[in-house]
Amino acid sequence: MNTLRLYFKSIGMLLKSHLQYPSSFIMQTLAQLVMEGSEMMVVILIVDRFERLKGWSGGNLYFFFGVMSVSFYLTELFGRGITGDFPMMVRTGRLDTFLVRPRGVLTQVLCAGTDPRRITCIAVGIVSLIIGSGISGISWSFAKVLVLAESISMSCLLILGLFMIEAIFSIFSVKSVELVNAITYGGRSACQYPIDIYPLPLRALFTVIAPFALTMHVPAAWIMDKPLYGWPAWTAFVTPLSGAVVFVVMSVFFHLAMRHYRSTGS
Amino acid sequence: MSYIEVNNLKKDFIVKKKREKGRLLREKETVHALKGVSFSVDKGELVGYIGPNGAGKSTTVKVLSGILTPDGGEVNVGGIVPWNERKKHVKNIGVVFGQRSQLWWDVPIIDSYSLLKDIYRIPQGDYESRLKELTNALQLDSIMRTPLRLLSLGQRMRAELCGSLLHRPELLFLDEPTIGLDAVSKLSLRDFLKWENREYGTTIMLTTHDMEDIAALCSRVMVLGHGQKLFDGRLGDLLEKYDTVRNVSVRYDGDANGLRLPEGVKYKQTEEGLELSYDPSRLPTSQLLGILQEAGNIRELTLQPENTDHLIAAMYKELDL
Repeated sequence: MNTLRLYFKSIGMLLKSHLQYPSSFIMQTLAQLVMEGSEMMVVILIVDRFERLKGWSGGNLYFFFGVMSVSFYLTELFGRGITGDFPMMVRTGRLDTFLVRPRGVLTQVLCAGTDPRRITCIAVGIVSLIIGSGISGISWSFAKVLVLAESISMSCLLILGLFMIEAIFSIFSVKSVELVNAITYGGRSACQYPIDIYPLPLRALFTVIAPFALTMHVPAAWIMDKPLYGWPAWTAFVTPLSGAVVFVVMSVFFHLAMRHYRSTGS
Repeated sequence: MSYIEVNNLKKDFIVKKKREKGRLLREKETVHALKGVSFSVDKGELVGYIGPNGAGKSTTVKVLSGILTPDGGEVNVGGIVPWNERKKHVKNIGVVFGQRSQLWWDVPIIDSYSLLKDIYRIPQGDYESRLKELTNALQLDSIMRTPLRLLSLGQRMRAELCGSLLHRPELLFLDEPTIGLDAVSKLSLRDFLKWENREYGTTIMLTTHDMEDIAALCSRVMVLGHGQKLFDGRLGDLLEKYDTVRNVSVRYDGDANGLRLPEGVKYKQTEEGLELSYDPSRLPTSQLLGILQEAGNIRELTLQPENTDHLIAAMYKELDL
């Protein structure tokens, strides 16, 4: 509990420092809105042009897009330490200052970064979810709300886990950005659309290695009463847990890697 | 057993060389940052740790503070092996890095302290009394609500010290704490460190390039070079060994005629007078003064040893560092 309090206190303080430069903050937040808004525009255009995509209606597409936006940018909002700032922390030696404090390194890294500008991206995602839910005519039940919450939180853990690969590489001072971006940002771009429109190799990549299909598409499809591949209902509850698995495995690797941390000169 | 025990400590770094033309992989080279360093420090000691850049000073501090895992040797600080029980170990230590901040850049320093209170789980009452005490000793009152980025270098260093001492560490590492500070800030910083050491028996290990820091603070000095310990003892003993030059400046009333200086004495005629330097072990001071006195009527004469920086430079040169 103490750790959680520390986390929110740290994030509160970072928010305060962001607001030290209010005009820059507002401009950047609006820029994010334009960026994510244009991503959604692509979906709107597709829906307008094709109406259906491999059996998925326009409403379904909005819903998938919404799940991805909300998950991805929630992760960036709360996990900026891992998704963006970590390589910098290694280069500048800030990681050293974490190591001399009696708290977990990962905790402190997460406490050290937030990206509140993403709030507009999340808003776009929520709007997309609501539109998608309306057009698809989803009849909400308690179980469906639960699955959506599970899907989003597990997707956040998955995305965090994937970004940790980059963090691990940077502990060994290896530049790996392009390689890792293929599955993080690449995963975001690809998996905001339903997985079954892609050829087999891509489907395998995003089901087995970076299981976005399991944390997002399986539960979202079930919520819309169109189970993916016709899988039974229990899979919608169980497969998202793969996100937590990825996160735990990557945390273990992260801590092993920290053993080989070399620090920087002073 | 002493408070800090370091035995045959070794640490290597693998450095990748620049890629040569026509080769796919870069060559690697192993740099031995520490080649078996041993020492022990008692509780309450104030130890200076000097050596040229790249000697392994920071590496030692990083191993002792649990940041790095060494490649060989044993380290024990108050019964704990730093890299094995990192969290338990760092509760008892404070670290100040001269060139990187531990506080938050854009927020008032009091907010940083409040967060440190939570990080170290310091009880509220204890935190308040300790903060009050440090605020007084370090004169932080007027800058408590100022963001770190707006502070001067001297103020920032005082703020950093306060942050690293809030949890009452038994052991404090200072990595070049006076770098870039003006004379007044340096003096008050040294006074504070002496006070902290006396008041609470805090063990302090200090790496520095400033010999005056060592002279003012440390009863004991260790010299490190090429990853090995070269000297461990009193600063006075170290200086005596390399104290081979005395400087004399003389001014005469009128001209000094017939001054014949023996061999081995370097001299320079300036507008102020005559500047001489000599080795007192080869030419007794009394003899030189005699010669100077015979040459004319001396109006002013000063005699002083070479300053410490020169001595250390001479030592580094002799030891081929």
